Amino acid sequence: MKGTKTGTFFVQGDEAIAEGAIAAGCRYFAGYPITPAQEIAEILAQRMPEVGGVCMQMEDELASIHSVGGASCAGFKAMTASSGPGISLKLEGLGWGIKNELPYVVVDIQRAGPSNGVATSVAQGDFYTVRYGSAGGNYALIALSPKSVQEAFDLTIECFNLAEIFRCPVFLLCDETVGHTREKLVIPDPSKIKIVERKKPTVPPEQFVLYPLDDDSVINYPFPSVGEGYSICVSPYTHTSKGYPSTEKVDQDKMARRLTNKIMKNVDKLTRVEKKYLEDAEVAVIAYGASARPALAAVETARGNGLKVGFLRPIIVWPFPDEEIYRVAERVNFILVPELNTDGQMVREVARAAKGKAEVYHLGSGGVETHLPDEIWREIRRLKK
Amino acid sequence: MEITIIKDHCKGCGYCIEYCPKKVYGKSKSMNKKGYLVPEVIDLENCSECGLCDMYCPEFAIILEKEEGKHERN
Amino acid sequence: MTAMAKETPLVHPLVNQYLRPERMPHLACPGCGIGQVVHCTLNAVAELGLTPLNTVWVQGVGCSSRLSYALWKGDSIDAHHGRIFAVATGLKMCRPELNYILFTGDGDCASIGGNHFIHACRRNLDVVAIMFNNGIYGMTGGQVAPTTPLGASTTTTPHGNFEAPFDLCKVAEAAGASYVARWRAIDFKPLTHSIKKGIRIKGLAFIEVLLPCATNFGRYVLKTGDPGKVQKWINDRVVTLKKAESMSPEELKDKVLIGEFVDREQPGVVENYQSLLKRLKEV
Repeated sequence: MKGTKTGTFFVQGDEAIAEGAIAAGCRYFAGYPITPAQEIAEILAQRMPEVGGVCMQMEDELASIHSVGGASCAGFKAMTASSGPGISLKLEGLGWGIKNELPYVVVDIQRAGPSNGVATSVAQGDFYTVRYGSAGGNYALIALSPKSVQEAFDLTIECFNLAEIFRCPVFLLCDETVGHTREKLVIPDPSKIKIVERKKPTVPPEQFVLYPLDDDSVINYPFPSVGEGYSICVSPYTHTSKGYPSTEKVDQDKMARRLTNKIMKNVDKLTRVEKKYLEDAEVAVIAYGASARPALAAVETARGNGLKVGFLRPIIVWPFPDEEIYRVAERVNFILVPELNTDGQMVREVARAAKGKAEVYHLGSGGVETHLPDEIWREIRRLKK
Repeated sequence: MEITIIKDHCKGCGYCIEYCPKKVYGKSKSMNKKGYLVPEVIDLENCSECGLCDMYCPEFAIILEKEEGKHERN
Repeated sequence: MTAMAKETPLVHPLVNQYLRPERMPHLACPGCGIGQVVHCTLNAVAELGLTPLNTVWVQGVGCSSRLSYALWKGDSIDAHHGRIFAVATGLKMCRPELNYILFTGDGDCASIGGNHFIHACRRNLDVVAIMFNNGIYGMTGGQVAPTTPLGASTTTTPHGNFEAPFDLCKVAEAAGASYVARWRAIDFKPLTHSIKKGIRIKGLAFIEVLLPCATNFGRYVLKTGDPGKVQKWINDRVVTLKKAESMSPEELKDKVLIGEFVDREQPGVVENYQSLLKRLKEV
């Protein structure tokens, strides 16, 4: 992609996300000032015009996501980024994107909450928000979560690709630690970066079906933009395959099934986890994002002390990797899930996916700082007793 | 000149009757599919082809075609 | 000379050329002026030679928008309640070569969409925004709107409205729109002229249209279900700018001015951003 900054850099996760978006072909960004996602907007304000794209600071969070939806209808790869309370505001706009199968990316740099919380500090409180927060249900959602600056870059590109393949908004569920940590980032030559471009219809307008509601699992489906002669109809209301509003049960049902099943029936293409030391594990630690590296350090300490502890990290966190979790649960005695929240979010998914095959424990914390590896190691020892 | 009333698009608002300066339209006893009483032309000779009926009708249910066969647009 | 009442599927020539005939008859109540405004819009579109290929209709939520949604033969983007200006910003910044006609209502634009409306005017976004002002929330059954007169009885002000209404044209002017006008839906010629001007002018064109809602405003506020009577109530309140010049402040109290208030073409966000991109390329 023209404009991609190739080379080796020492940058924050937020900057890696911004460069990842550019490398993926994103040419519209809209945001609103919010810590700790702000750097993404600031960097794109510099970089987007350099590559001929559009970067807008909108009047509020709602305007950001709605304008991103508009940009997607205009044929652009588009992105918005925010945190905690900003994500709450965006959930209405997210519903519009989900319903109309608009490809775009939403970045959540999670911070301590609830409400404004501690703006400059880490937490993992939005795990369920991104998945279920947009009112009305009847949909599935894709979310990816990086653990490092390099992954923040790589997974941002992956988010854009998945958005095009599944024709839907995709979340990059990041956090303040990964967003603000500075690490090495390697950006390869653009020719080595796999990009999925927007698919356009190959049939004339009178034959094209904008919303393939009769096939609830088809993906890689075209999405024409405005001004291409396809007379697209995009609406917040339940609609027919043509896009005309409908109050019929049959249309609501078809639409709801498609929005859920196009992802859930393709879960095999959406499973990505990192696994270590699981072959002979008697105990497993499952963590994601900011909790992952302290968790892995604790697991390695445990191994060094002769304990058979394994590690699993969901990289695509939604759809949740049920099968991978179940396979781990089948062979271990218990699973520990360190998370930066006190209400237990991912731990509930792990417990559900384990189907009672192993005990599942939560190591919670309100956030502000990540768990220390020692804290997780002590908890493993305590539970083992 | 031709006046066409598209019966099934009419919602019986009465604007054509009220606002025609030449009183060309009147109420009829004819009902359309939705149960609205459709207007009828009662004095075609008096029509000045001003086209107000075409514009006043919110339902696009009146088509006024002028003498030359051109559709009247204000 | 002939007159005939014909059965469908005959449609009006404008409907045939610019709208989707299968979506007729449209959703509006009998006597609702929205159809008249759409008619003026289509006249403007025809006179300027716009087509469904190069023009996008954007609408929000409410009577104003339900009617215009999926009616236009071209691309029809129906946004969430109040968000049309935000969606239109994304559309216009990415595809500035297309024409955008926005349809909104008084609740959609002035209430939930207020912030986006103000900033779209400030940015002077190159679109035409036509706001249907019927003084009430129609689609949801007659709730008070930011444009409902003081003292009016609605479903959410059964004891009388205790909030003063907005003058949206003044807001648009203060915020920086290039063109601001207000007409009644039955002011066919000037309304069509304003829409044409709005499409051609650089910057945001905000056109407020006063129209009767017999079903809700009529029944709740004026205690009449007759659209003709509601139209008469509007007619009695409006005063043209020219006539207002010779009226005293006391005479103008409770009157609503109609006319072209602002006509000051100036570049907006789209042109400014294009210049920025050009400047960067030259560096």
